[in-house]
Amino acid sequence: MTGAANVTMNSTPLPGRTPRVASSMWRRRTAVVGLLGLAFIVMVAIAASWIAPHPPGQTDLSNVLAPPVWAGGDAANLLGTDGLGRDVLSRVIYGARSSVLISASAMLIGGTLGLITGLIAGFFGGIVDTVIMRLGDIQLALPFILIAIVILGMLPERRPHHLILVLGVPAWIVYARVVRSRVLTERESDYVQAATTLGASGFRRIFRYILPQVWGVLPAIALVDLSNLVVMESTLSFLGFGLSAPDVSWGQILADGRGSMAMAPWLSIIPGLAIMFTVLSINLAVESPGLETRRRLWRLPSRRATRPAGDTHPSMKPAGSAALEQPEDVLLSVRDLAVDFQAHRDSPAVHAVRGVDLDVRRGQIVGIVGESGSGKSVTAYAISRLLAPTARIARGSVHFDGTELTEMPERRMRRIRGRRIGMIFQNPTGSLNPVLTVGFQMVEAIRSNRPMGRKQARALAADALRDVGFGNPEDVLRRHPFRLSGGQNQRVMIAMTMVVEPELLLADEPTTALDVTTQAQVLDQLRRVRDEHGVSVVIISHDIGLIGEIADEVVVMYAGRVCESGPAEQVLLDPQHPYTKALLSSVPTPEVIAAGNLEGIPGDLPDASAIIPGCPFAARCPAVMDVCHIAVPALLPVPAGQTVACHLYTTEAEVLQR
Amino acid sequence: MTTTGPTSTTPLVELHEVRKHYRVRSGLSRRPVIVQAVNGVDLAIDAGEILGLVGESGCGKSTLSRTLVQLETLDAGEIRFKGESIDVARTDDLRRHIQIVFQDPYSSLPAHMSVRQIIAEPLLIHRLLRGAELDQKVDDLLVNVGLGPDFAARKPGQLSGGQRQRVGIARALALDPDLLIADEAVSALDVSVQAQILNLLRRLKRDLGLTMLFVSHDIGVVRYISDRIAVMYLGEIVELASAADVYETPAHPYTRALMDAVPSIEHRGRPRIEVRGDPPDPKDPPSGCRFHPRCPMAQDVCRTEKPALREWWPGRQVACHFADECLAKSGAALGGSDRVPDGVHS
Repeated sequence: MTGAANVTMNSTPLPGRTPRVASSMWRRRTAVVGLLGLAFIVMVAIAASWIAPHPPGQTDLSNVLAPPVWAGGDAANLLGTDGLGRDVLSRVIYGARSSVLISASAMLIGGTLGLITGLIAGFFGGIVDTVIMRLGDIQLALPFILIAIVILGMLPERRPHHLILVLGVPAWIVYARVVRSRVLTERESDYVQAATTLGASGFRRIFRYILPQVWGVLPAIALVDLSNLVVMESTLSFLGFGLSAPDVSWGQILADGRGSMAMAPWLSIIPGLAIMFTVLSINLAVESPGLETRRRLWRLPSRRATRPAGDTHPSMKPAGSAALEQPEDVLLSVRDLAVDFQAHRDSPAVHAVRGVDLDVRRGQIVGIVGESGSGKSVTAYAISRLLAPTARIARGSVHFDGTELTEMPERRMRRIRGRRIGMIFQNPTGSLNPVLTVGFQMVEAIRSNRPMGRKQARALAADALRDVGFGNPEDVLRRHPFRLSGGQNQRVMIAMTMVVEPELLLADEPTTALDVTTQAQVLDQLRRVRDEHGVSVVIISHDIGLIGEIADEVVVMYAGRVCESGPAEQVLLDPQHPYTKALLSSVPTPEVIAAGNLEGIPGDLPDASAIIPGCPFAARCPAVMDVCHIAVPALLPVPAGQTVACHLYTTEAEVLQR
Repeated sequence: MTTTGPTSTTPLVELHEVRKHYRVRSGLSRRPVIVQAVNGVDLAIDAGEILGLVGESGCGKSTLSRTLVQLETLDAGEIRFKGESIDVARTDDLRRHIQIVFQDPYSSLPAHMSVRQIIAEPLLIHRLLRGAELDQKVDDLLVNVGLGPDFAARKPGQLSGGQRQRVGIARALALDPDLLIADEAVSALDVSVQAQILNLLRRLKRDLGLTMLFVSHDIGVVRYISDRIAVMYLGEIVELASAADVYETPAHPYTRALMDAVPSIEHRGRPRIEVRGDPPDPKDPPSGCRFHPRCPMAQDVCRTEKPALREWWPGRQVACHFADECLAKSGAALGGSDRVPDGVHS
């Protein structure tokens, strides 16, 4: 059993997780086997005239139906002979040549035709698209094998090119469909539109912009098509519509053996095995990782990941964290939390969170603010243990109401999530099921957490919707999520989360997808939920104004670390950390505009996979000192009232502590 | 650069009664519904100015900017460029003069090309430069947008969001356009990077005399960069004035609400201007003034009579029956009436 955790040395097997890391390794290995098999067949085909012991058509009527060597035959005909005394091994070797040539050529013809028609249909659309695709539909509705037999049967002599055309031309539609749908999406994408605005002609847009993006899907389809063609060619030959003598293909050998199946079963089995081996090799090769669209490493955290037991690095704890005391009313306490992402065993680990300390008191709204790459969302996902399978909690602890969450079994964690810790995500429509009514989903959510009847649950749901500002909750309950606007859906999500009465609400960019006027209403609801139910809220946003308006406590994150935290007024009106200061002077607020220029922060985030020995902001900091590059500043209280992780304050703060 | 600009009296670009309606099929119903994305917009962009266009999602601001680069065709109305009406036949010629920077720095650059190829594309398409001259021009553009020639060999995948957006700007500047449209060009960027790009655009305006249409949902950003601001709501322009006037003393209730909804630490515990509900469906816009169902100042006349966008004060156009009252409220909220222009009660 393997999982995301197996990227570490001392991983502990954990049940119920997708072994994706291992599966990608496994896929690579099977693909190598497939590609080696294919290479072998192609080599045999090329070298046929040198390695075959006899010419394929050489008959020897004195030695018909000789058994293969393991059934008592002699070494001159290793795989025996057929009804005309021809050497089966030689014929199988030459057959590889015909089979590979016919299938590969047919594939190229079908692929080329399909690519061209798909590009034309997708790019021009309209009537051109309709005509091309309907022709394809008609062709698919016709029985291919019957038509192929009629055509081939009319020919007095069947040569390889006849079979290539009969097999290859009809294959276009398979490629055309895929190419067309890719072109349809690419055509509307920004970079093609940008090319249009530059004045690029249609021809240029197709070949210089769209084609290089569409290429990638073809090899996988071509390989699937190839295995299909190998079988198809053999089928036609077996039915007696394959190559005419003296040409030989596997299907031909199979057909020759048909008559003497009882006396000489090897005549059918040997070419059958050759076909099977080819098709199997091709299908294994399709698994090649290069043939699939690459998955992004960071996106869509959807599944849980726990920290392997005993995998802590106490030595790496910043000095200050041990000193922080836990008062009575602290509901959530995070200490030195670190999260790594790693897609493959051999790829570099991305240190998304590099040691975060965080305290949330009961009834408090804590805002985590930071730019992309700061690790703010990953922190929330790590708290609720909803990390992507490629992520793992590298070290640190998450105490929720006295319980350690990082080492909790998934089954118990599931009971805490939803009931005691509610989550609201950025995209509300993605979190609701579009085909079920709001009422159905809310009733299900309530009843899975609290034992009660359907009617009672529905009444509770209606009350919850009224609480988040819906004037007519009964109407909303009857609707499907897609009939509601983004702001309405987000309020439904809040109601759904709140009706279970969690103690902690984690809201990850809950209003980022909404307009400001709608956002204002959602913020009002969040505040009411806290005021009326005493819920603790962790709200995560890139919007400093939003955090400033709603949060009691603010945590500023940069490159996976906390730079500054404390009461909102303190941190945002009298910032001490150079990053907080720079961030605040980058936002065009009335005050900043009145003061003149936006500052901005020169440079970029440090590489997320690098080990940073010092302060992560050092490279962009206007007040940087030598010590900043070599030592991580501890998060310590400063005289102004907040805690700051900056060497400008280190000595001062240390003096204060004594 | 834009030395052959129009005379001072003719705006660089004029929009007259521009209209764009989409026919969409929603759900299972057979009959297409009309979405009035842009509904009769009059707008003039003067040479050398940055005009900000602000509004919430679905207000038609992106559609409007896309009609200017002819990614959308007009249903009605007229676009004039340097006093001449834009004709579909002249599309390619016009494309040299109007360029656009897109919102998403990731999807708007072709991933398979190098930065040099991307920036050279417009010059190759229009057969303007080649060989060493082309390379030199690309290097110059890279320097101009703050990247430098070392970036030429890289692929977009090796760049950060801010660097990609700089490449997008360099590509748009390659043809020395008269008008640069920035369609939410900084919205996908982090604030620290956003500030860098805004300052870059300001510098380019100053150095190159660029005219710019800056489209954004973020009124703070628009205020920072624009000379004038047009506010859009449901396909129509509701207010148009100097950036300082719109930002400091809005005269349309929607502009006031938009400003007031921007969260900030100063807003803690302060009651907001009451704007109820979500923006109405553009498939079925309200009668009269399109903002009346959400407007805190709505009267009976607003439900029946549509206010025209007219010049209430010099250089200040508002589409509201009660613009003077609204302006007075804004002035009062500012803590004094000294900022309210003269002739409020005219």
